[in-house]
Amino acid sequence: MFRKQPPKSLVLAALTLGIAWYPLVAKSQENNATQNQSQPDNTTKPTSDPVKGSAPDLNQASSDEGKLATVNNAKIPSYARVYIAPMVGGFENYVIAGLRNKKVPLTVVMDRTKADYEISGVSESEKAGWAKMLFIGAQNSNEEASIKIADVKTGAVIFGYSVHKTNSARGKQSAGEACAKHIKQIVIE
Amino acid sequence: MADSRRVASMVVFLVAAAITASQAGDKNAPPTQKIPKGAKVFVAPIAEGFDSYLKDAITKKKVPVEVTTSRDQADYEMTGAAETQKASTAKKVIMGNWHSREEASITFSNIKSGEVVWAYSVHEEASTHGKRSSAESCAKHLKDAIEGQQ
Repeated sequence: MFRKQPPKSLVLAALTLGIAWYPLVAKSQENNATQNQSQPDNTTKPTSDPVKGSAPDLNQASSDEGKLATVNNAKIPSYARVYIAPMVGGFENYVIAGLRNKKVPLTVVMDRTKADYEISGVSESEKAGWAKMLFIGAQNSNEEASIKIADVKTGAVIFGYSVHKTNSARGKQSAGEACAKHIKQIVIE
Repeated sequence: MADSRRVASMVVFLVAAAITASQAGDKNAPPTQKIPKGAKVFVAPIAEGFDSYLKDAITKKKVPVEVTTSRDQADYEMTGAAETQKASTAKKVIMGNWHSREEASITFSNIKSGEVVWAYSVHEEASTHGKRSSAESCAKHLKDAIEGQQ
């Protein structure tokens, strides 16, 4: 039995399609590889229970300022578009300024529909009372803030950070910069 | 003859699609926006009337931007937050300080693209002139940012 040879046009078309799709496949593989990069320092991996199934890998780390948690070692690509949702007391403005001061390579946008990621959170300030001024001699405020970063398309939360400063030298500015500094750790530069 | 022409046109189309697809992958590029001198800026209302102080400070510090009253006429928008805490009796008596505590943060964004091109925060524990000081600090740093990048 003679085998029929495929027509030349089909062969040419297949070759050209292969050239067209190869760079896209290579890029998607590269993106998957960068999302599984090494964990941040001082992390403790929680032991996963095989009976419960595949739970997301939550890595937590403590610093002198607060606590951060990354899910599945997620990373944000540099210059990704980020939307910062309004927060109590206008704290989102301090986070934006913090991202600039700490030179975090992200593009902040004011429109959520144009963003890849969304940062949301809460913050609270407590000014020094008379007892703190009298006994400790400090008039700086207590600052607390907590933020999370979620993928806008999937809704998955990939990063969380909380900060608490009992004697904040620069109030909300310090808390905003602390958040920005820790966001920089998960941005791929 | 017709078959060869058909094949040739298909190959050209697929090669063009390949080039477009490979170039479309690079969407995360660093922002290249700079604030041009003489840019039209709309100052959005800010809490505690801080926007008025900001407009005055822009004029006083001779920031090279044009403040507009309507957002439709502007290229950039300035938004932010501000907070003032007057000195309490405890602060006056115990710390001997009667100045107010000022905090402010502003963002400067491009209205068309929606991207934030500049941002600044200021905190003054004992502000001599209250909101005026923090507004002038914001204006001064905005001027430095515009003139520094030229």
